[in-house]
Amino acid sequence: MSDLSGALQEPWPDLRLQREAVGLGMWFFLASEVLFFAALFCSYAVYRSFNAEAFRIASAHTEIVYGSINTAILLTSSLTMTIALRAATAQLRRTTLICLGATAALGVAFLITKGLEYHSDIDQHLIPGPDFPLKPPATAIFWGLYWIMTGVHAIHLSAGIGVVIVVTTLFWRGTIPVQGSTMEGVAIYWHFVDTVWIFLYSLIYLAGRS
Amino acid sequence: MSEPSRHQQGLWQGPALAWAVLILLFLLNLGSAYVPLGPGNVALNLVIAAAMAIVLAVFLMDLQNSTILVRVVAVTGLFWTMIMFSLTFSDYLSRS
Repeated sequence: MSDLSGALQEPWPDLRLQREAVGLGMWFFLASEVLFFAALFCSYAVYRSFNAEAFRIASAHTEIVYGSINTAILLTSSLTMTIALRAATAQLRRTTLICLGATAALGVAFLITKGLEYHSDIDQHLIPGPDFPLKPPATAIFWGLYWIMTGVHAIHLSAGIGVVIVVTTLFWRGTIPVQGSTMEGVAIYWHFVDTVWIFLYSLIYLAGRS
Repeated sequence: MSEPSRHQQGLWQGPALAWAVLILLFLLNLGSAYVPLGPGNVALNLVIAAAMAIVLAVFLMDLQNSTILVRVVAVTGLFWTMIMFSLTFSDYLSRS
């Protein structure tokens, strides 16, 4: 039978229930996060409904290559995170550590690509203000939302990378056992950040391509 | 420490399939954005994005094996999002 020392916490009778509780708690947190991002998406929808042509013009100036590379990176990181969770549940410590490391590395790759994209955007003065180059004026609304939405997403991803690195370190040192319930919450949060990006990609990068 | 390859294979099978579907949907989404459909473009992009989110939630976030309680909490955010959009647009779209 598996070694549960340190993995099972009060008041749970078994690990299955403990993992379920952690997952449930994370889903409660994510419900509030969904509403946080929904407010931004709602702002986007309202402004777009009144400035459809301006949004199409503004969106055509986003960096589709960087956005697409980042989409592939995040989708792949969700795969490695899922394998890490499954490996942790199966007490495959080495596989868990490797997949968590790969997930964090992919997260960092996303941020580096995002940094390159921001650099290109800044070079083109695509920041709402006196030097903003696009017309009509409502294109600045799109770019204001672009910086806020992608920036907030990047902050969430950075938090996720930090958590993954801390958890990986704790697993590696043996401070907490891999088969505990920690991975459950970490994995669900990571997938959520990926899901938000899927919608950001569609609304920010794909609009105005045709 | 070696870990049995049989275990390793079992770990990857389901998630790798879900990942392949996600990549296909992503490429479909990207390609469809260049087909001139007018207002239909954003609708199609959002439908594909929603399909990707469902694949992620059901297979990678493992809602398929979750309890009813977890599933109910998972859709709570979407429920309130729907109310937020309904109330917001009922205001903006009814202004003269």
